[in-house]
Amino acid sequence: MVAFTEEIVDVGGTKVHTLKGGSGEPLLLLHGAGGNNGWLKSIDALAEKYTVYYPSHPGYGKSDRPDWLETIPDMACFYNWYLETLGLEGIRTIGFSMGGWIASEIAAMCNHSFSKMMLVGAVGIKPNEGEIADLFIISPAQVLDLMFHDPAQAPEYQAVYGREFTPEEMMTAEGNREMAVRLCWKPYMHDPRLSSLLQRVNMPTRMVWGRNDQIVPVECGELYKKAIRGSDLVVIDNCGHSPQVEKPDEFIKTALDFLA
Amino acid sequence: MSLDVYYFTEMPYHYIDDELAEQWPSLRLTFPNSYFDPNKATDLFKRYLDEFQYAEEAGFQGLMINEHHNTPSCMDVEVNITGGILSRLTSKVKILMLGNMLPTSDNPPRLAEEIAMLDVISGGRIVSGFVRGIGVESWANNTNPVYNRERFEECHDLIIKTWATPGPFRWEGKHYQYRAVNPWMLPVQKPHPPVWVPGTGSPETVEWAVKHRYTYAAFLTELTRAKQLFGSYREQARAAGWEAGPDKFAFMICAHANETDEKAQESGKAFMWRMGHPLKGPREYWAPPGYFSQAGVAANAARRQKPMNEMTYEELQDHNHLVVGSPDTVIKKLRHIKEELGIGSLLLETQGGPLSHEDTMRSIKLMGEEVIPALQD
Repeated sequence: MVAFTEEIVDVGGTKVHTLKGGSGEPLLLLHGAGGNNGWLKSIDALAEKYTVYYPSHPGYGKSDRPDWLETIPDMACFYNWYLETLGLEGIRTIGFSMGGWIASEIAAMCNHSFSKMMLVGAVGIKPNEGEIADLFIISPAQVLDLMFHDPAQAPEYQAVYGREFTPEEMMTAEGNREMAVRLCWKPYMHDPRLSSLLQRVNMPTRMVWGRNDQIVPVECGELYKKAIRGSDLVVIDNCGHSPQVEKPDEFIKTALDFLA
Repeated sequence: MSLDVYYFTEMPYHYIDDELAEQWPSLRLTFPNSYFDPNKATDLFKRYLDEFQYAEEAGFQGLMINEHHNTPSCMDVEVNITGGILSRLTSKVKILMLGNMLPTSDNPPRLAEEIAMLDVISGGRIVSGFVRGIGVESWANNTNPVYNRERFEECHDLIIKTWATPGPFRWEGKHYQYRAVNPWMLPVQKPHPPVWVPGTGSPETVEWAVKHRYTYAAFLTELTRAKQLFGSYREQARAAGWEAGPDKFAFMICAHANETDEKAQESGKAFMWRMGHPLKGPREYWAPPGYFSQAGVAANAARRQKPMNEMTYEELQDHNHLVVGSPDTVIKKLRHIKEELGIGSLLLETQGGPLSHEDTMRSIKLMGEEVIPALQD
């Protein structure tokens, strides 16, 4: 396993709790609406090739929330500032679910922030046929049921989701959920202007989706592909919303191929 | 010490039986509206409005109305409509609207002028309750629950300013912005109608009510909990240099009178409908993420030992959520509540669930003739 450290990055007075580890060129990972799940197997594999920056978004986990930050475009502004603070530019990124929405907003806002972008089960674009599952109106246990096609094939499922949580962890989870509501309540989990703005993105982009994603339909991956010139879509069979947890080997392979 | 007694009904569409209700996660929010029969509702409205009118005649000092969305348990979907009807149907009673849901409103000056219009039509009889709306309302109106309290407070501030400050003025707030607030319609009562706020336990609501010296109405709260909340109000008022009198405290409870205790116990069972399925549903419906503060969550845990929808008929009576009996029994119980709590107003949900017109009218009559006069000493 690659060693990682916990760092606090001060962005204009906002403290961002960041996991950092590995070596090589920088890679920014942006987590989904549920929060930062820590240094999992797939992240560790990425850290063997890259220096991974894995922050908890402002308002999540141990990171502060600046009063002004209330939308995903706000978050994109904030992350440009974060990258500037770290002296990073033109780096690789992977955004998971809501983090994919953040990554694509950053890319649409500032073409030179990233050199390569990977979006995994990303929200942000409204599907024409299906719907993005409403995660706020159901219980966290029901959300978890929707996340996986088959939890048994996710090697770290028990370690991450199957154990007893401390009261502190429960509070953090509740706080993360509240932050997701703040950011994504209406329009729910998408931005009507995003598809149009993505036309200006000119970096290599890959979408990765679980074929059986019950939260964000694969159709959204196709819409991203249509919106971003030259991008491709990799669909993983027998897999739900989180390929990086449910099918880590396949996820790592496609990620490393693309990022290389 | 006098006591203002208000007549209240949610005007339920009570034709949903348990067997049907049990097929859905809740009677609120997502219960299919294909079960609604507008013709039945027409008859119900006629009946409920007649009962409101009779409550004035019988001797209630006030009528209370409320508002909910996406639920058969309350057909009143707009207090200001009902307020308008009652303003013309009645001539003496106070009309307590408890109340307008501020956070779900996108247009506070419009609310201000609507309430002002009611105050004008009724000749100054409006009591303007302001509510946050239960969690379900955030869903039904699709208003971000994280901003519920912020929007409540800003909407309130703008309404009060609209009433009490000569227009035109500009408003550039966080949630509301206006170029020219200047509604022609202003309330009769100056500087504005009395404002009430309901609570079920959030400490922030008590604090806010004290700050504005508004009447705090405890809704279906355990007596001991209501005592704590009122005690906290009195202490905070004292700390701020003023004494909170009974006019600052109201208590809401279901109440039913019949000629004898036996008859009342039988007819009063109709209230079990409103205590059952309308109070059930997934946690997320009632408390969308961000709706409650951490303090509110703690207060909720302390609120009652057992949810009302799990209580038996007897337990509901033991816990003072429901008072049922002959006029003498009802007097005894309500007098106890009045004395324990030091309240100036009692809000009686006198019609509930499938309680029939006949039983409702009799109960109103007994309340007016015997119960209300006996509570005035």
